Parts: sequence; structure tokens; C-alpha cells
Amino acid sequence: MINTTVLGSYPKIPAHAGASVRQAIQRFDRRAIGPRALEDVFVAATARALSIFAAAGLTRITDGQIRWNDLTDPVVRDTDNLVHGGLQRFFDNNFYYRQPTVVGRLQYQGGVLAEWTRLAVGAATRPLKVSLPGPLTLLALTDDKTYRNREHLLADLIEVLALEAASVARAGAVEIEWDEPAAVTGAPVDPGEGVAAWTALLGANPAIEQSLAFYFGPAGQWLDRLFGTGVHRVYVDLVAEPSLVDRLSREPLPFEVGLGLIDARNVRLEDRDLVSRTVSAIAERQGSGRVWLHPNAGLEFLPPDRAEAKVRWLGTLAASIDRTQPIEEEGRYPHA
Amino acid sequence: MHETLNTTSVGSFPKPERLLEARRQRRQGRISEEDLQAEERLATVDVIRLQEDLGLDILVHGEMERGDMVAYFAERWTGFEESLPVRSYGNRYYRKPIVVGPVGPAPELLGVGAYRAAQALTDRPVKGMLTGPYTCCDWSFNAHYADRRALVLDLAAIIHEEAKALDEAGCQYIQIDEPALSTRPDELPLAIEAMEIVTAGIRARTISHICYGDFDKIYPDLLQLPVRQLDLEAQNRGFELLDLLARHPWPADKELALGVVDVHRHRIETVEEVERGILQALQIVPAELLYIDPDCGMKTRTWEEARQKLTVMMEAVARVREAVGLL
Repeated sequence: MINTTVLGSYPKIPAHAGASVRQAIQRFDRRAIGPRALEDVFVAATARALSIFAAAGLTRITDGQIRWNDLTDPVVRDTDNLVHGGLQRFFDNNFYYRQPTVVGRLQYQGGVLAEWTRLAVGAATRPLKVSLPGPLTLLALTDDKTYRNREHLLADLIEVLALEAASVARAGAVEIEWDEPAAVTGAPVDPGEGVAAWTALLGANPAIEQSLAFYFGPAGQWLDRLFGTGVHRVYVDLVAEPSLVDRLSREPLPFEVGLGLIDARNVRLEDRDLVSRTVSAIAERQGSGRVWLHPNAGLEFLPPDRAEAKVRWLGTLAASIDRTQPIEEEGRYPHA
Repeated sequence: MHETLNTTSVGSFPKPERLLEARRQRRQGRISEEDLQAEERLATVDVIRLQEDLGLDILVHGEMERGDMVAYFAERWTGFEESLPVRSYGNRYYRKPIVVGPVGPAPELLGVGAYRAAQALTDRPVKGMLTGPYTCCDWSFNAHYADRRALVLDLAAIIHEEAKALDEAGCQYIQIDEPALSTRPDELPLAIEAMEIVTAGIRARTISHICYGDFDKIYPDLLQLPVRQLDLEAQNRGFELLDLLARHPWPADKELALGVVDVHRHRIETVEEVERGILQALQIVPAELLYIDPDCGMKTRTWEEARQKLTVMMEAVARVREAVGLL
């Protein structure tokens, strides 16, 4: 069986009729509605995302990050001396985030994301994971006005993130997905620093299922280095790095692998035969139960109707692949 | 016009509530296109008057007819399909166009009419405003072209005709915005090639506004962009941009328009902090090549915030003029 999931975000506005976070915030800003009505819209929009994922039969879902402004937003809210700064472009997208700005030594406060997670878990009918910025990405996106020492800041970020992960796991999340686009885009990352950071982060919560998500760039360079980190699953962007398919079809890996074959940044629906052949070839080598099919990034880069179509198509593709797959649940990695 | 430190704006201004309501009604088919255009003209008058009152040297028309800098053109050119909104940040959304066929021009030119109407309202020069081919490609979904290069170059040919029409209409400053330029450094040569097509034979002073990018990756190569003036945001990152610019000698054939007020924050900057930024820039760029403006278009601010931010900008420029003895 091919597992299916999404990465992170989903549109906050409806494809047709329904709760619109956009309109609600506009009305809230005009004082046309109050905090209660705004909260009701967040709840309803989250429920819509959850139901779209469930209707498509996805194995594991997120809450669509309906309440989040951007990937780093809840970590900033949950951390003392980390504040929202100026607007910055999010990698190569026409999407912008408030730059986390360090104004003192970081101290974990918690509460916000745990509560959001508790609410989402309570509304979800499928196992729910939470996506968080990985340490390299959070470091890359942060403006440090205090530490002036990369090593010290990274160490504190890892501890803060580990505390955040523990809190959302206690709230019912079954997986923490650490998003690391910064590790595969832009300036080269020191491999030693990356592996040490992930090992420390994952090791802080060994009982929690934790994954790494690499998107917007090629992750092949990292795979070998992740063998000893304790990562449970690695999501890769095969739209950005189609050449990785060949390797994944030949070489068994000691962790589960997520195949980002659904393009979250283009409206075109993927070719059924091409996806089917690709997933089948990789599943044959990795073991079908150890392979996940998913969009290559958060779906909020798409208009809501197109995002919904992608989710439905994801479910359809996985179902059609399953019909052609032999039953194979065991991993083929010799040491797994 | 001054001989040094000329002041200007980047492009958009906040739309008045009356115009927003007219746009809603037009979408619902409750008013005619002519009714909407009448509201746009009224709002443009206010934009021009505000800039004149504050003493800006080079004006913009405020883009009252545009919702989004790419979608406005794409919705009128052939080969595009309109999408539902996509979020760009916070609670801001835009309709990201979808390229569904070969792109082609609209039946009528899109930039020159707005320029002519605004220029007729003032004796000061008004910029002609266009969006560059690279950004039009990057901020659209490409569901047709086999590669981005083909799409960018087709767009460049269309935008060249827009620039030519502005030039022939007597426009002295033509701004071709390329905010997406810094997103993929490996595609900078393509963006430069496309801009060469757009600006070929244009006599007007050409400008390109670029913002919210990682300039470290494209500077100083960015100086190869074939425009007379680069318009870059600096206040958003506390003028850190100037540290980068200081690493290379500023070329004598390029002008810099420096963004000195943040357009995505409600906070009104102090005159002193803006003044400090301008003085720092003058250490790098000669005063006759330095222009002062906001970081980006001001459509996300309220009218009052826009007025206050521009007022601070003008006061800071006046102080610098006096302190340094500029004309």
C-alpha cells in the first residue's frame, strides 16, 4: 500500500462557498466581527482542510496550517526573545514571511502551537502530523541581533524546537515533520553542521516519530548522511530533483521515503502513468509500505480550487497505484 | 526637479474605500466599466495632488486601475487564464495568472492610457509603469510553455511594445518592475536578455524596481540589467543593503533609487532614521545619481499611513539637503 500525505500548508479560503479566513480577518480589522466570530472561521476553515484530506483518503494529514501566517510563525509566538521582524521573500516564491528576529537569549514559552494542535487533532479523523521549520531553515530565516555566534544560536534553536516538538506531540500529533528547504537551496550548508543539528534535534525526543522534508531543491546529497540521525522518514522534492528517482529505484534506504511528485507550485495535474511508473519502481526497491506519495511543498502556493484538485488527484493516483502493486509491507533495506 | 536627491514613489497607492467598493460592484456586474473608470480617475487625481502637495519631484499615477501588478496585464493579454486568489503574505492575496496558451498582447495597449491621463493632471514628470517579463513569468503558473525562457522572451516582446508606446507618448521615466529578479540567480542572464528586448531603442530614462530579494546572490551582476536606474528597498532590513552596495564602486552610468520607508509596517519611521540612511547612501552613491523613495508600492498602507511615511521621507531629504549643502 502506498501511503499518502501533504506537507504543511493549505489555502485558507474556500474554492467555492464556505469559511474564508481572508474575509474574516478583513471584517475583524474593520470591527465588523469580534474575536469569537473570527475564531469560528479558523475552526471552520481548518475543518474544511481536514475533510478535503480525509475525502481523498490520505494516510496522514496536517491541519493545513490555517492559523499560521508562515512556517516560522508559531515558533516565534512560542519563544521569548524571538519576535516578528520585516517582511522577507520565502525562498524563490512570491510569498513572504515575517523574519524571526532574535532580540535576546531564546527561552521557550510554548502554548500557542500546542493549543492549535490540540484543536486540530480533536477535529481530525485521520492521524495528524505537524510541520515545523527545521533548525537549519529556522537559522537561515532568522535575523540574529543578539548572539552573534552561529553555533550558540543554533544550539538554542535546537533546544527550543525540541521543546516545541514535545509539546505538540503531547497535544496529539503523531509525527513532527521538520521542513528544511534551506538545506537544499541557496548557499551550501556545512554537512557536518546539518547532520549534527538533526541528530541532536531528533535525539531529544526519541519516542516521537520525526521526519525531514526537503523541498525547493535537490536532497540527494543528504541521503547518505542521514543514516545515523534516527530520522524515521525523509520527504524529497522529485519535481525539483527528478534525477533522484533513479537512485531511489536502485538503492534501499534505512528510513521511509516520501516522494514529492505532486507539484504544489503548478496547476497542471501530473501524468498518471508517469507517477504510477515512478512510484511503483521506487516501491519495489524500498517496500511499498515504506513509500509515501505527496505534494512537493505546502499546497497554499496554489489557488484553493487547484489545491483541492491536487489533493483529490493525489488520492486517485495512490489508489490506482495500489491496484497494480503486489502486497509488500517489508522494507528491503538490509539493516532495516 | 532638483539636481540631486530627487524624490519619487515606487508605484501603487492605497485605493480609497469608494474605489474598492466600485471594484467589488464591477466584479458583480452591478456597475459598468465606465463607472469604474470614473472612480479610478477621481482617485488618481487625489494621488497626484498628494504627491504635489508633499513636493515629490517625479510622480506616479498610483495604479488605481490595477489590482495586482502582474494580474492586471495578464488578465488582458491573450494566453492567460485568471485564477482564484493565492496568499502572498499575512492576509494579502493576489490572483496568480495561469498561462494556458501562447501569450499575446491585448487589443489595446495597457500602460500608456493611464500615463497620459495622469500626466495631464500635473506639470511634474509622471512615470510610466510596467511589470517586467521575468516577473510576469515567475508570478504566473506556466501550464503551457515547455520552458520558462520561451515564456519570458514572448512576454518581453509584448512589454517592449508597451514601453515603446510610453516612449512615443513623451514619458520621461519608464519603470519596468522586476521584483522576482533575485529569486533565481542562475536565471539573471535570462532576465537581463529579456530586459534588453524591452528597453531596446527606448529614449526615456528606464528604471527597474526590485525588492524583497536576496541581493547578495545577484550583486554586482545586477548592475548589468540594461536600465538607467535601479530602485531597491533598504528600510525593510535597516539599510543593510548599503553594506552590500559599499563593497563595489557604484558605476557612473547607473542611478540608485533608495527605499527609505517600509511599506509593510504600520509604524511611521522617524525623520532621523531615514536621514541616517540617506546620509549613509551618500557615502556610496553620488548625490546626482541618488533618488529617494519608499521601499515598494504603498497600496498595503492606509491613505494616512502613506501620507505620513512620504512626509517623513520628504522631511528627511530636506534635512540632508541642508546638512550637506545640496541643490
